[in-house]
Formats: sequence, structure tokens, C-alpha cells
Amino acid sequence: MASIRPRPISLRALHGASTATRPACRPSLPPFSSSSTLPRKVPITRNHSTSSVSADELSHFSALASSWWDPMGPSRILHLMNPLRHEFIASCLAESPPPTAADTDSASSSTAANLHYMDIGCGGGIFAESLARTIPLDPSAAAPTATRAASMTAIDPSTMLIQVAREHARMDPTVDAHLRSGKFKYLNTTLEDVLAPSSPFTPTSTSTSTSTSTSEPTPSGDNASHPQFDMVTLFEVIEHIDPTTTTPQAFLANCLRALKPGGWLIGSTISRTFPSFLLNQVIAEAPWPIGVVPRGTHEWSKFVNPPELHAWAQEGLMRAADSATSRGGPSALDGMRWKCMGTIYVPGLGWKMVPGSESWGNYFWAVKKGV
Amino acid sequence: MRPIPRAALRSYVCPSCRHGISAGRRRFGTKSDQKPDIYDVVCVGGGPAGLGLLAALRASPVTSKLKVALIESQDLNKARSWNMDSTQFSNRVSSLTPSSKAFLQKIGAWEHLDTQRVQDYQEMQVWDGESGSRISFDWSMDTPDFEDPRTVATMTENSNLVRGLLRRIAASGDENLTLFSNTTVAGIENGTDLRTEGPDLSAWPVLSIKPTGASTETQSSSRIAARLLVGADGINSPVRSFADIPTHGWDYNRHGIVATLSLADPDTPPFPDYMRTAYQRFLPALGGPIALLPLPSNHATLVWSTTPQNAAYLKSLPAPAFLAMVNAAFRLSMTDLKYMMGMAQPAQPSSEATSHEDELSWRLQHTPLPAHTPPTATGVQTGTVASFPLRFRHAAQYISPRVALVGDAAHVIHPLAGQGLNLGLADVAALSRTIEYAVSHGMDIGDLLTLERYSSERYLPNAKIGGACDLLHKMYNIPGQGPVTWARSLGLDVIDKLPFVKSFLMKNAEGY
Repeated sequence: MASIRPRPISLRALHGASTATRPACRPSLPPFSSSSTLPRKVPITRNHSTSSVSADELSHFSALASSWWDPMGPSRILHLMNPLRHEFIASCLAESPPPTAADTDSASSSTAANLHYMDIGCGGGIFAESLARTIPLDPSAAAPTATRAASMTAIDPSTMLIQVAREHARMDPTVDAHLRSGKFKYLNTTLEDVLAPSSPFTPTSTSTSTSTSTSEPTPSGDNASHPQFDMVTLFEVIEHIDPTTTTPQAFLANCLRALKPGGWLIGSTISRTFPSFLLNQVIAEAPWPIGVVPRGTHEWSKFVNPPELHAWAQEGLMRAADSATSRGGPSALDGMRWKCMGTIYVPGLGWKMVPGSESWGNYFWAVKKGV
Repeated sequence: MRPIPRAALRSYVCPSCRHGISAGRRRFGTKSDQKPDIYDVVCVGGGPAGLGLLAALRASPVTSKLKVALIESQDLNKARSWNMDSTQFSNRVSSLTPSSKAFLQKIGAWEHLDTQRVQDYQEMQVWDGESGSRISFDWSMDTPDFEDPRTVATMTENSNLVRGLLRRIAASGDENLTLFSNTTVAGIENGTDLRTEGPDLSAWPVLSIKPTGASTETQSSSRIAARLLVGADGINSPVRSFADIPTHGWDYNRHGIVATLSLADPDTPPFPDYMRTAYQRFLPALGGPIALLPLPSNHATLVWSTTPQNAAYLKSLPAPAFLAMVNAAFRLSMTDLKYMMGMAQPAQPSSEATSHEDELSWRLQHTPLPAHTPPTATGVQTGTVASFPLRFRHAAQYISPRVALVGDAAHVIHPLAGQGLNLGLADVAALSRTIEYAVSHGMDIGDLLTLERYSSERYLPNAKIGGACDLLHKMYNIPGQGPVTWARSLGLDVIDKLPFVKSFLMKNAEGY
């Protein structure tokens, strides 16, 4: 038991991890370590088969932890993509806002910051922190951006990355204030744990939050016994989940379970095509100065094509509507929306939205759950 | 680079190690551990660039909620209440390109300027004093004949511009806005990690500010932290020193003489009647060009770049002799001018030694005058003859974590194209756009990933204009009839006859 317990990671070990081969840091990084700052009731070791987390991927990204926020470091390309995520979310909301906005009577509800977000696989917090920055300090104020965030819950299975994310969030007084008030949370957990009945989200739990339960995402309406969110984001995650223990489809179904009716599940990934093999495996991961992504970041065979994703989302919606006694069936697809937008990185110009390029390269996608 | 603590370098160190690292940095018993006031944007310097940035941020609905502060060592109330008789003009005048004017209109500052005191001009005559080859700049090649002549640039007194910007900022209300007038920056250092009490500010610049003139002991300084610290604080920028950004450049060993002149009525009235012309003549033998730029009611502002010796000589002349020299510089040959620049001052006005005025009128009889000679300068406004050294500086970078440089803090160029202030305003426009983009996309406005958008937009254009001015200065400092004179004259004549090349150059110069 003692050998599995997470040891404090020393500076030396960190340097070793970032320079040596990837498996070097694995012994000190059990995939499901429990963070000491999180009083959780989950056991320290867990059965692999229930998790979507790949141990290889976990060690790869944990090794990048020290340079995650370096603007010139290996994650630069992700940082550059981040503003486009905001734009894509804004375009989804403009097309069809979640019903929370329509329910509340006043006309200002379409500009109010009333959407609760969850970011799955937040890593070092590039997207989560940027979204948390847009949460207004005064909840009654109009949302400063079109993303209309009221709260953000970001989860990642890597203890080290969550630690990096928390450390970095403290460097911004606004984000720090949200961390302290509980509007912004980093949880070192997996999606499966969040959806588990004994989840740390149940309102009685004292996680890192000190906020009142009114701002918490609460189980709503249907058979959900777990927290649900207006917006769930899944940026550059689905191509990294562990194919030996789960399928992308099952994982997607879980993501959709975490979504309130009428909410959007928004993500980004890469198509599995010959151009994307050339671009993402051969060119992007080439040695400096050609490559822009660390070697071993992507595995082309795990990439997902938009039609596959669309089908999985439909299947996932039906599965998410399953209850103990009945099956969701095609009626779960009523009111579903599907959105897809290709994006291309042009050296020197940055990321550009290019309609049509989703069929062969990087793309954003979104699924709206019917009300 | 300035010493940035671990946090800014974004590396991860586990809590137990960090404790050992940071123990030595901790200060004891000072107030620096207290939480400073936190601002989103702190701008050091209340010149046209700094005030322009503030006005732009206040004008945009996206950025108007940011908490901003401006620190200026001079009294802003004086600038706010600046007033001058309508026949008098300040000698600090700038030429605003149409894109600069459009920016001022966009941020709502232009309507706060006294437009009776600004002057558009639609044509510019530039010629070589050595060879006489000439180029004229106007927009006639881009506008149809029946259209009114388009403005090449607009002359504005800096005081008028500063007052207008202050009024624009005042009109935006005082919510989230602090103007520290009469205040100097006593020091800038990185903040501290407030640990359990607050955020980690160890990568944030924290400024100690105190009222001008207060001694360090008696007056307690207040401390403000900046998410983004903007250096609009001129050529010797303290913000640039704090950010440890080196700057490269040289002194031209030239001085620019400025003065406000009144002109005689032109021989032929302008057509159309509002049509005004700016004149610039290169004087290779005297070290630089002389320029006469129109102001309202038949006034003009003079900018004469010349050697420090010539500048000292010109400043020592009485008003009539000074005017004779200015008129001579637009008319006489290099040989005549060199002679007149060395003339002894007559001890008595009535003595037998010839005065500059006599010398000019005698020599003019033997000099054929081209058609593009400016009207004669007839009067010089008292107290407006002044000079300033000409320099070239370019900062190695415009940005550093949580620091951005704009205007003269980033670049100082030769004034021969009148582009200095325009580059500063273009910086400010780009930086305010960058901040706007960052705020609407959840980015940290002080982060390098945000600021690099500003830097990549402005660095090359500034270097290009600065370099072009430097090249022109060097080309037009080679006197005599040599191959360089021949080549530059040929170039000028060719460009003058190729409308598309000229149009391209003008568009480059004006930031279209």
C-alpha cells in the first residue's frame, strides 16, 4: 500500500521526468492519486477498468507540467488555440442558448452570467482559467463576454497538472478570488468519479468550495443523481482516452450525462485522415524548429472523424437517457443539435477557423442535448 | 531580462521545495508585504500616447470596465486648462496622418479638440537643395479630378491634443479611473506572494508612487500593482529600465529648431481656397532638411534639422536675422547659405557690416526661384524659437511579462517625415485592440501570449518607418555633386513620375 501512495514529488524528480523518458515519472504518479487537499471518500487505488484515463497519456502530460504555462514552451500551440475556443462557444450560444436563460423571466437573462461550466481534462488549466477570468465578481452584473460563465469546475486525473493549474490560477487576483469563493474549482478526479453516486459534488460535500449551494450546479429534473452542468467542454481530450479500458463512445455518453437538458457539450479533436497524419504526426511532432507539439502527444489511430463523433453523440444521448427501468431510445435525440467547424494552424498567423477543413484536420464540434 | 521570480517563469516546484527557495526572498517588517492596490492597466506617462491609450480603453465598451490608472509627473490640471490666444500657437506641433486622425475620431477624442487651431494640408512639396530635383505628395493620383483634394496630414498643437484627450477621458466618468497627477514613480519592483491572504503577485510589477517634490522620508508612498504596466514615459523610460529591455540607437548630432512663424500672403491665392501646402527642402550642406508646415490664419510651424553649431548660431540671432535665414534656407544655394550661416553679427544695426536681411535681398536678385517656393516668413512669435536633440532609438522588445512599451519609450526616430507621434498613436491603437481582444477572450491582458499580438503588429512597421527616416537623413547629408546626389535626385524624379510607386509610398507612410 505504501508503495502506491503518492510521495511528495521533489524538484529533482520533476527534472528527471521532464528530461528523461516518459515512464520515468510513472512510479511517483499513480493515475488515481488522491490529492491531500481534497477530502474525498474515494479509495486510494482504483480499478482501472472503470476509468477512461490512459496511464501512458497521463505520464506524458504530467511530464509537460513544468512548462505548461510557458508561452514559448511545448504547449504554445494550445495557448494559441484558446481564444478560438471562446469564439466557438460564443457561436454555439448565439445559435441556441441553454434554457436556463429562457427560464428566467427578464430580458437581461440572455446577457446574464448564468451558465455553469465543467471542463473535462483541463490539464494545466489553459481553457478553465481563461473562462474563469470571465466570471463577473458581482454575480448580478451583465456577463462581460458572450460565454456568460457563472462558474467553472475543471477536472483532470493528473495530480501534478491540477497542482500546476492551481498554482498558476493564484497569480491572477480575479481568478484567485473565484478559487476562494468556489465559483472556480480544480478537482483532481475523473469524469467517472464525478458521475459516481458518492461523488464529491454532492452539495453536502466540503470540497475546496466555501460557497453557498445556490451557485452549485445541482441535479436537475430527470433521473440524474449526479451534478449536471449547462456547458461541458472537452477540448483536445477525446483522442487521448484509454482505448483498452473504455471506448470513446462510452466516454462521450458519460460526458452527456453530466449535461443538463438543453446544454452544450463542446469539444475539439482531430480527424483521422492522411493529411492529418502528415500534419499532426510527421510535421507537428518533428524536431525543433519544424515541430510545434512535443513528440508523443498524439496517436494518429486515436483521432476521431466528425461522422464518427456525430454517431457516438447520438448513441451517447440515448444511453444518457437510459434509466434503471427504461431505455432512452430515439426520443432522446429530439432537439439535438450538431455543429462542426474546422480550424487550421497557419505558422505566423495562428489558428484560423476554416469551414470544411473539419473533414481532414483539427476541428471544433458541439452537441446540444435536447430539452 | 529583469529578475523575475520563479512564478513568472511558470515552472512547477513542489510546495516543500518552494518553501526553501522563497525563504531568502522574504522581507521583514516592511510594508511591502501589505497588499497593494490592484489595477488592470497602469500607464506611466501622460503624453499623447499614454492619454491616447487611456482614452481608447475608456471608449471601448469591452475595456471600459477595466480599472485603469495614469501616473504623470507634471500637473495635468495645467494641461487641462491650457489656453492660448487664437493668433498664437505653441511651438510643439505634430503632423497627424489621416489614420491617426481616424483613430482619434474613433475613440471620441477628436471632437474635444479645438478644431479652430488645427490645419489640414492637401499637398506637400519636397525638394533637394543641392540638385533641385523635386517630388510633390498629394492624393491626386488616387482621387478623381472632380473630387476635393484629399488631406495629406493635419497639423495639431500637442497641447491641444493632450487637452482634448484629457477632456475625452473626463467625459467617460471617473468610475474605475485614477489619474495620479504631479506624481512620480519612486520605484518599481516585483510584488510578493500573499500566500494564504491573497493572490501570488510575485510576477506583478508593483509601483511605489509619491507626490512630486516630496522627500522619501517624510512622505509615505503608496503602492499599486499592475496587471499590465504600460511605459509611455518617453525616451528615458523608467518602465523600460524596470523591464530590463535594452534599447539600441544613436544620436544624430543634429538639433531640430522649432518656431512659430507668420507668413506673408501667397503671391497667387490658393485654389481651392482651403488648399494648404507643406514645404520641405533638404539642405545637405547644413546637415538636414528645413520644413514649413501650415497652421491656421496664415501661420506656420518651422522644423529645421541642422548641426548643433548651426542651431546655436540660429538661436542667437535677433528675430529679423533669424527670419532672413529661414527665408534664405528655402531659396538660396548651398554656397550662399553656408556663407550666411557664418556671418558675423553686426554690433550695431546701423553699422557698416551687412545684415542678414540685406545679404538675403542682394543674393535673391541672383537666384532663380522655383515655383514651389513657400510664402515669405514675415514674423516669428516671441519665445517660440527652441531646439531639441535628434536621436534614433529602438527598444529591443516592446513587451516583457506584464509590461508593454508605447511611443517614445519604444522608439524615437528622426522627425524629417513627421512620423514620431503617429507611430506612438498607432502603437496605442494596436495595444488597445489587443487588450480588447484579450478581455473578450478571457486572456490575461498582462500575459506574454496577449502582448505578443501587440508586439508583432507594431515592431516591424515602426522599424520600417524609423529605418526609412534614418536612410533619408543619411542620404541627404552628403553634400556636393557626387554619385549619391545624382542617384537620390534620379530616384526622386522617377518616383515623382510613377504615380503607383508614389501612392504606395504615401500609403505606407500614412498607415493605410
